[in-house]
Amino acid sequence: MTNVQLEIQLVAVLVAVACALPGVYLVLRRAAMLSDAISHSILLGIVLAYFVVRDLSSPLLVIAAAATGVGTVWLVELLVRTRLVRSDAAIGLVFPTLFAVAVILISLYARSLHLDTDSVLLGEIAFAPFNRFEVAGRDLGPLSAWVMGGILLINVAFIALFYKELKLATFDPEFAAAQGFMPAAIRYALMTLVSITAVGAFDAVGSVLVVALMIAPAATALLISHRLGLVLAVAAAVAVWSALSGYWVAHVLDASIAGSMSTMCGIVFLLAYLFSPSTGLVAQVRRRQAVRMTFALKMLAVHLAQHERQPEAATENRAEHLTEHIRWTNDFAEKVVRRALSLGLIGQEDGKLFLTEKGRVLASESVIEDSV
Amino acid sequence: MNSSLQQQSMLDDKPAVEVSDLTVAYHSRPVLWDVDLTVPRGVLMAIVGPNGAGKTTLLKSILGLVPVAAGQVLIFGKPLAQQRHLVSYVPQRGSVDWDFPTTALDVVIMGLYRQLGWIRRPGSRERRKAMEALEQVGMSSFARRQISQLSGGQQQRVFLARALVQNAQLFFMDEPFQGVDATTERAIIEILRQLRSEGKTVVVVHHDLQTVPEYFDWVTLINVRRIACGPVCQVFNEKNLRAAYGGRVAFIVEQQTEGC
Repeated sequence: MTNVQLEIQLVAVLVAVACALPGVYLVLRRAAMLSDAISHSILLGIVLAYFVVRDLSSPLLVIAAAATGVGTVWLVELLVRTRLVRSDAAIGLVFPTLFAVAVILISLYARSLHLDTDSVLLGEIAFAPFNRFEVAGRDLGPLSAWVMGGILLINVAFIALFYKELKLATFDPEFAAAQGFMPAAIRYALMTLVSITAVGAFDAVGSVLVVALMIAPAATALLISHRLGLVLAVAAAVAVWSALSGYWVAHVLDASIAGSMSTMCGIVFLLAYLFSPSTGLVAQVRRRQAVRMTFALKMLAVHLAQHERQPEAATENRAEHLTEHIRWTNDFAEKVVRRALSLGLIGQEDGKLFLTEKGRVLASESVIEDSV
Repeated sequence: MNSSLQQQSMLDDKPAVEVSDLTVAYHSRPVLWDVDLTVPRGVLMAIVGPNGAGKTTLLKSILGLVPVAAGQVLIFGKPLAQQRHLVSYVPQRGSVDWDFPTTALDVVIMGLYRQLGWIRRPGSRERRKAMEALEQVGMSSFARRQISQLSGGQQQRVFLARALVQNAQLFFMDEPFQGVDATTERAIIEILRQLRSEGKTVVVVHHDLQTVPEYFDWVTLINVRRIACGPVCQVFNEKNLRAAYGGRVAFIVEQQTEGC
């Protein structure tokens, strides 16, 4: 691995984790699409600030961009409060307008500006190592690593410090307000973080894929874990893994790094959706099968118990009759009988099934359960 | 305990809640219109009225959760901002997302956040207090459960425990009996009575007119305006109910003077 490769991966990991952490709160607040709105409208802040300072690396750009992001949230809420449009429509109205104004301004006055469509939409993380951070002639690594590292640190510090306030204001804003915790202030603080993070990530992954990095790790973590602290940790882990695997996929395919990172985020989500031990599709199917089997075992036990002392027991209580009497398919009947045998609920003699003591207990319990 | 007794005696002379000229409007449509209301200390009060009468809004405006167009609210004689530590609130169960990744115990601990103040994290002392509150509502064995795995009634009891743990003097509850099972309803009313016997004041937005005389000793009837406010046996009568609900009261109040 070369130094350049290492540096790109470092930036990728920093961007991904910095995005994933506030993303958890966005998803929990059902405000995932606000990340989309913010990541686009910050362009207007960047452009306006650029006109003032005429320097693309000025920190004022970050501040102005963050302010536009927060302003976007405020405008959306203002529109929603008129009750003329709902919040999804309000988001769809506000950010394209701000974004469009920014695009017009760029095309009119800043043609020479390095803000072409590709870099706005996709970013270019591969260029990260070219822009160095130098102090007194000493090279301290890529500038974007320092910027994203700083943003990540701010995010971690804010969440660590206000963990309990964020949790309360996200879960139950009214109760938080009644307790004097100012949920609106907390919401705007969070939106400020999202905006700053989006500005930082903008260079690396562009304004569209930022959304994937904010939402996918959080959504994945929420499928796997049911404690907020753990959700944050899992989201960060998913982010790290997506960043690194995304980089190498891009390397092998010679494709866009940001695109590969986002794709890996999506793939991890899909895996969690299928295989999460608690909520995954596979686990759900398994659980449904288990419930079906438990019920089938009870039915078998009750059936055998009912015919046990009757003369027709000899014909009724045979494996091959189960399909007729309980309407199971042959395969399923075989499976149930095999399961019951292995659990010691029934025994078999000359093809005739009989209940063991354990099976009899199950039968009587099942009947009692149903009659209560 | 001692400080709580002192707290109570200091507040003896003032009513728990005094609302005067309260008006709340969404745009130009008044939701509450010039409401005056006094809740004496130590009563179990129901707020009743038809849908859209402003019951929840009344509760929320007393708690400062919705902007008011006019009027004043005093809690034990002072503005809410100075008295938040005396007030506890149980929102409607449906107002939060129960899929939130947290446990029953954790939700109850949220009731102690105010005492902790900003930034400080809850510790073992908070966990112990929260466990006691869960015990009180019969939910201690569910402490570690993820809240989405609780039934509606259990969720409501967790909410109640979160209010109890605050050790407040004044409780506001928004439809705590909404969609709960009979066990939970009995458990909740048992706790409300216990609170009253400890001299605390409880204000409940209530939907079921039938149970008002059985559960409560004080009642407020509203329909945008305040229709009546007073002891159940004095004001919970057909005339006031008709005034609040229009002609559509399918229910005749039988016990008019019983126990007064």
